[in-house]
Amino acid sequence: MVELAELTRREPRSCAASAAPGSGRRRAHVREAAVTFGMMGPAVLLYTVLTVVPVGVAIYLSFTDWDGFSTAKVIGWENYQHLFDDPSSTDAWYVTAMITAIGTASMVGAGLMYALILKGRSRTNSFFRAVAYFPHVISALILGYLWAAILGTNGAVNNTLATFGMEPIGFLFDEKFALYTLIGVIVWAGFGFNVVLFVAALQTVPAELLEAAAMDGASRRQINLRIVVPMIAPVITVATVLNLVGLLRAYDIVVSLTGGGPAGSTQTFTYLILARSFEGTKVGYATAQAVFLMVVSAALALVVTALRNRQDQAATG
Amino acid sequence: MVVVTEPKVRDRPRTAPASAPEVSRTERRESRSPLRWALLGLLFVVMIVPVYLLVVNAFKSQQDILDSPFSIPLSGMTFEHMSAAISNPQYNVIGGYGFTLFLVITVDVLCIALAGPAAYAIARSLKKRTQLVLLYFLAGTFIPGAAVIIPVIYVLREIGLANTVTGLVAHDVASTLPVSIFLFVGFIRTIPVDIDHAATIDGAGRYRTFWTIIFPLMRPAVVTVLILNSIGIWNDFISPQILLSPSSGHYTVTTAIYAGISQYSTDLTKVFPNLLLAIAPVIIFFIYMQRHIISGLTVGAVKG
Repeated sequence: MVELAELTRREPRSCAASAAPGSGRRRAHVREAAVTFGMMGPAVLLYTVLTVVPVGVAIYLSFTDWDGFSTAKVIGWENYQHLFDDPSSTDAWYVTAMITAIGTASMVGAGLMYALILKGRSRTNSFFRAVAYFPHVISALILGYLWAAILGTNGAVNNTLATFGMEPIGFLFDEKFALYTLIGVIVWAGFGFNVVLFVAALQTVPAELLEAAAMDGASRRQINLRIVVPMIAPVITVATVLNLVGLLRAYDIVVSLTGGGPAGSTQTFTYLILARSFEGTKVGYATAQAVFLMVVSAALALVVTALRNRQDQAATG
Repeated sequence: MVVVTEPKVRDRPRTAPASAPEVSRTERRESRSPLRWALLGLLFVVMIVPVYLLVVNAFKSQQDILDSPFSIPLSGMTFEHMSAAISNPQYNVIGGYGFTLFLVITVDVLCIALAGPAAYAIARSLKKRTQLVLLYFLAGTFIPGAAVIIPVIYVLREIGLANTVTGLVAHDVASTLPVSIFLFVGFIRTIPVDIDHAATIDGAGRYRTFWTIIFPLMRPAVVTVLILNSIGIWNDFISPQILLSPSSGHYTVTTAIYAGISQYSTDLTKVFPNLLLAIAPVIIFFIYMQRHIISGLTVGAVKG
C-alpha cells in the first residue's frame, strides 16, 4: 500500500498500471494514454478545426488576392506592404490606437480610483460596485444604440440644450468630437470591470500591513501609493492586458454608436476589416489586416507582461 | 473520503477574511469624507441616467421624447409603442430571447462537457506534451474572434455547416474552450490528487472519477465559466450576424435589435422600447445574481 502511494504520487495517471501485474503494465499504459486522449480529444479537435484552422486559412488568404468568389492567387507580401501606404488603413490604426491608449489609461485609472474608495465590505460599497459594473453584462451593441439615442442630433442632451436656446453639440456628427464620444462611451461601459477586479485584489492586502504603516505616520495617500498599489501590481498588469487586447478589437459599439462615421473618423481596425470583407472584393487584403491585428495584440500583451515582470524583479532583487 | 476533504477544497476559493475591527474603522473614516460622497454621487448619476432615460422614454410618444426627454411620463404615458415592439413580427426582440437562450444553454452544456474532461486530463498529467496542449489552448485567447470570422465561414463551408445553427453552436463552443479550460485546469490543480487515488482504488475509471468526484468539487470554477460564457454568448453580435444569414430564420436578441434599429434609428418610439426589451431581463437577472456574477468573474484574473 505504501509502495502504491509512492508510485501514484509521482505519476497519478499510472495508478491502474502500477496496480496491475508486471506483464499487463504496458497494455495498461496504452489504455491510460487512450483514456487521456479520449478526454482531451474532442476539445482539441473542435478547437483546432474552428479556431486554429481558420487562423491558418487567414494567414494563407492574407498572401492572396482573393475576392471571396473566384480562385485565390498567391501574391506574396503585397497585402502587407499595402497596410502601411493605404490611408484608410492608417486612419483606422490611428482611431484604434487612440481608443486603446486613452481607453486603457482611463479605465485602469478610474477603476483604481473607485476601487480604492469602494474596497470596504459594506452594503453601500457593494451597491456602488454593482452600479459601476452593470454595463458589462449588457451587449456593447445595445449600449451603443442607447447612447446614440441620448447623444444624437435628436437625442436627450441636444434636445435639452435646445430648450435652453443653446446650439446642439455634434457628439456623434462632428468629426472633432465623435472619436472622443466613442472613447467616453467605451470607458463608461468598461471601467466597472476594472473596479471589481481591483476591489477583489485590494481585499487580499493584509490589514496589518496598512495598520503598521498608519502607525508609522504614513498618510492615506502614501499608504495607497507606496503600499497598496504596488501590492496589487500583478492584477493591474492583468487588467491592463485585458483592456488593451479588448479595446484593440472594438467593433460592436462602433457599429451601433457611430457606424464608423462621420467621414470614417471612428472606423476601428476591426470595423474596417469586416467592412472590407463584406464589400466582397478585398478578402485577401482584409485577412492580412486581421493577421496583423492578431500579431499586434499578442505582441502588446507579451510586452506589457514582460515589462511588468522586469519591474517586479527590479523591485524585489 | 470525500466527506473529509470537501470542506478543505470548498474553502479555497474564498478570500481570507479581513480582520473585522480594522475594516469598520477605515470604513467609518471613509464614509465621512465629502470627496468620497462627491465621487460616488458622480458615479451614480453617470451610470444611472442613461438607464433612467431608457425606461421613461420607452413609454412616451415621439413628440414627448423630443420635447422633454428627462420627464417622467405621468400624464402622457403610453404603452402603445411598447406593445408594438413586443408584437412586431419582423424584428421581434422577444422572439430573439428564445433562440438566444437556446444558444446559451447549448453552448454552456457542450463547453462544460468538452472542457471539463480535457482540463482534468491536462491538470492531472505530469507529461510535458500534455502541458503543451494547455499552451495550445492558451494561444487561442490572443485570437481576435471578430477579425478571423471570415476564415471561419470558409471552414464551415468546407465541412458543410455554413449558415446552420450547428455551425454557429460549434464555433461558439470552440471560442469558449480556451478560457474555460484555463480556469478549470487552475482549479483542478488545487484539488488534492489523493482524492483521485482513493477513487481509483475504489475501482472508478477516469471518466467516473472526474464526473462523480472531481466535477462536483469544481462548483466555483464551473459557476465562473457558466457566467462568463453565458454573458459572452448572450451579448455576442458578430458570430450570429455573420454565421447565420437572415434567410436562416433564426435571430438572437442582438441581431434582432441590429436589424430593427439600424432601419429606424430616427424613430425613437421604436428605439427605446426595443432597447428596454433587450436590456430589462439582463438587468433583472444581474440584480438577482449580482454577487455571484461579480465574484465569479474576478476569480480567474485575481488568482491567476
